[in-house]
Amino acid sequence: MEYWTGVLVISGINLIAILGVALFTGFTGLFSFGHGGFMAIGAYASALFAIRAGVPVPLGWAMGAVLAGAVSVLIGYPALRLRGDYFVIATLGFGETIRLLVENSHKLTGGARGLPDIPPGVNIWVVLVLDLMAIIALRNFIGSRHGRNCVAVREEETAAETVGIDTTRYKTIALAISAGLAGLSGALMASWIRYLHPSMFGLNKSTEITIAVILGGQGTLTGAVLAAMLLIPLPEVLRMAQEWRLVAYGLIVVLISVLRPEGLFGYREITFEGFRRLCRRPPSPPSGPVLNGEEASP
Amino acid sequence: MLQQIVNGLSIGSVYALMAVGYSLVYSLLNFTNFAHGVVVTAGAYLAFFTLTLVRPSFAVALLAAMVGGGLLSITYEILAYRPLLIKGGRRLFLIIAGLGISTIGENLIILRIGGRFKAYPPIFPMEPLHVGPVEIAVVDIMIVAVSLIALLIFQLIISRTRAGLAIRAAAHNLATAGLMGVNSDALVILVFLIAGTLAGLAGIFLGVKYTAYPQLGAMTLKAFISAVFGGLGSLPGAVAGAYALGILETFVSAYISSSMRDVFSFLLLVLVLLFRPQGLMGRPSGEKA
Amino acid sequence: MTRGMIWLARRTIMVILVILLTTAIVAGCVGEKKAPAPAPEAEKPAEAPKEKPPISIGYLGPLTGDGAPWGKAELNTLEMLVEDMNQKGGLLGRKIKLSSYDNRMDQVETTNAARKLIEQNKVVAIIGTNSSSASIALAGVAEQYKIPHVATTATNPAVTVKESKVRPFSFRVCFIDPQQGAIMAKFAFDELKAKKVAVLYEVGSDYSVGLSEFFQKSFKALGGEIVAVEAYKTGDVDFRAQLTKIKAAKPDAIWLPALYKEIGLAANQARQLGIKSTLLGGDSWFNLDLFTVAKAAVEGSYLVQPVAMDDPGLNDFKARYKAKYGSEPGAEGANAFFANDAFSVLIDSIKRAGADDPLKIRDELEKTKALPGITGTLTISKDDHNPVDKEGVILKMEAGKYVFVKRTKP
Repeated sequence: MEYWTGVLVISGINLIAILGVALFTGFTGLFSFGHGGFMAIGAYASALFAIRAGVPVPLGWAMGAVLAGAVSVLIGYPALRLRGDYFVIATLGFGETIRLLVENSHKLTGGARGLPDIPPGVNIWVVLVLDLMAIIALRNFIGSRHGRNCVAVREEETAAETVGIDTTRYKTIALAISAGLAGLSGALMASWIRYLHPSMFGLNKSTEITIAVILGGQGTLTGAVLAAMLLIPLPEVLRMAQEWRLVAYGLIVVLISVLRPEGLFGYREITFEGFRRLCRRPPSPPSGPVLNGEEASP
Repeated sequence: MLQQIVNGLSIGSVYALMAVGYSLVYSLLNFTNFAHGVVVTAGAYLAFFTLTLVRPSFAVALLAAMVGGGLLSITYEILAYRPLLIKGGRRLFLIIAGLGISTIGENLIILRIGGRFKAYPPIFPMEPLHVGPVEIAVVDIMIVAVSLIALLIFQLIISRTRAGLAIRAAAHNLATAGLMGVNSDALVILVFLIAGTLAGLAGIFLGVKYTAYPQLGAMTLKAFISAVFGGLGSLPGAVAGAYALGILETFVSAYISSSMRDVFSFLLLVLVLLFRPQGLMGRPSGEKA
Repeated sequence: MTRGMIWLARRTIMVILVILLTTAIVAGCVGEKKAPAPAPEAEKPAEAPKEKPPISIGYLGPLTGDGAPWGKAELNTLEMLVEDMNQKGGLLGRKIKLSSYDNRMDQVETTNAARKLIEQNKVVAIIGTNSSSASIALAGVAEQYKIPHVATTATNPAVTVKESKVRPFSFRVCFIDPQQGAIMAKFAFDELKAKKVAVLYEVGSDYSVGLSEFFQKSFKALGGEIVAVEAYKTGDVDFRAQLTKIKAAKPDAIWLPALYKEIGLAANQARQLGIKSTLLGGDSWFNLDLFTVAKAAVEGSYLVQPVAMDDPGLNDFKARYKAKYGSEPGAEGANAFFANDAFSVLIDSIKRAGADDPLKIRDELEKTKALPGITGTLTISKDDHNPVDKEGVILKMEAGKYVFVKRTKP
């Protein structure tokens, strides 16, 4: 059973990054193929702080997350002015650059030989608590005025600008939050696997996260959670058919894009309110002819 | 130093073949076709099997690669991109679908054909040509020659034929071209056919130079950077960007550090996008209100 | 459809989905518990009721991907040996159960698979892996869980020694890169009379980086000169920029501790640039595929091997392997032979330990002395967990074949 706990932990860790990208892509409408880079920053920073500077592990996580967020703002400042395709490409370029920089600074990070023996600190409870905190925090953010502004950016950016919303500011906020969450995710990953290698955070990782968000659907956190729980454990469940995993991934991506772009749960959420509505009796049709202009009551 | 320039040009010509395909699709449909890499890889494998199983003739293999590439290209256009385009899907879903196709293709190859490389039987002589102080591989001359011919033919098609006129019109505005009587569906197919053919061509040359292996398509990322560098939407730009990138990369490798070469390329990409998104020769893209 | 019917339909679908999902999860968990080792088991079907539980050991290696020939050869060997042993009564009166996972020669995959072997399959020892980078990753997990592992052909010293301290749970049965580098450096300097050598290595590979450094150290100590050191990234296929610089330095020979097709491509490109220097390689150069890629280019190159492939001591093993699998091992390198010896060392240690306790096994592994193996006599050193007194062999590539040149000690 310990093994499956491990699978849950990995899913939960990835979920944090996926939630972040859900905010960025699902709610603010910006696609990114570079969030793996932010995970890398969080991972390596927290690992190195813990190993080289003896920083207590949880503090290392926080520092990793903050660093990732900070770097994202630096990058975001020029990059967010780009439109459409160009921005996506820039994120791709950025993600790869980070990975390459890590790979090339082997004195610091071990480079392509990996960084082993990272101190531990993650267990299923830590992950669950952090996941819940992230979900609650994001729900509140999305429900707030700031969240609605982000959605406005997604829906119709030019109109949003016209109404006076500083779109660049909100894009930057979304970017910083998603990058910070990705950084936290990376830091947790480092403490869990206790071994880091630049290939863990390359284009494959970035794509995996973005695909999870798309699969889950835009504008929904529930979708992101569902997608994470489906996609991340999949390679373990399908260990026998390991090689087909990637083909399956690609197939899912294509099918979703073509057939159901709104994903599993697009624009909808599982909420307590929704659950209550589920349990109420079905609306009954008006019975028989209407007498004196009154409808029969339900 | 001269040799390094030659090295750079040799890499550049391969990039150029692939970059033109990217630029073509972009100029017409305004999105980046990430499935391009798969066609290149497929071309390389098709050529390999033709050479080993059918007939060890370069010309035949070349044809096979080009035809195969074109057909594959059209296939995924019809299956994946067309439904999206019809629905008026967001560009970004097209990009993602392209990535998906690329993943499927690469891993199908690994599964069905095997992850190890396939070495081509020797086609071109190994002995390089000595031109002054410089060594030039025969295969590189072939690549430059064939690419130039292909691009020339392509240029002629664009500027002299009706189809070419239609393409140019559609590149300006697909919808209006449709109003003018251009069958935009057929046009899109034509464009993908051409792009696929060029990709297949790139594939066989890559296979000759580097053997056929499943991750061959990853090199198209460099071609993509070339296209961006030269200006997405401009075909001469793609070619220029490709050669420029090839030479720059080689120089970075030679005079700074070989391991930093890719960092440089990606940084270049990012910098170009930040400061001159239209690249060397492209048209600036702004969104109209 | 009335609104009521639509509502009913939706609810039904949702309920069905939830039931399906739950069933899938439960089935997955239960299914996994029932079949703890989805990988092939080498257990003989019991004819008599087993009283004692089997001894569980694991194997990690590349079963898919570029390294697949190596992993498959090793796994075949182990399965054959386990089957033979079980038929003869097993070990300590118990059957041996071998579980194996594919690590695709990837470090991260190795850590995942290792955890799975230890937590799910409950192995008491692991044979693996064949590559240095993956073995180093495995070493970390082994240390964490206190399960010993024996590497087959991983040659980087860091597999068993970390910052001058031996890794308590890591062992190997092959020579190490300092020895390889020294062997070739001496051969190049003394026999080939090479005074100036250039190096081209892969930045992302522990193996390549280590081998490059050790060669350089030995060569310089002998009085030779390293005239150029160039590197390339994993996945690169064009080395002309680096080779052009190497050519300008006019080396007598080029040390090329590369892997897979990069060897062939680099060789081809070197010749295309007009470089005539002799090419030198390590144990990764033993790969018949090289002749398809670069036959002319590698003509006259030399490589170090951990064992002479046509050593008569290997014949018995080769015959057994061929009888079972239809082809002789060795085309892909010496992996099968080292897997055999890793197994021998492990079994011998378990016997001496008298139990399948990982800590006791580890202690006995350290005490392995003068155990006859097919790659030589095996004595494991307590200081670095490496076999003592290992020789190397120099081969030459001629006319599409590997030709024995000499046997030598570092």
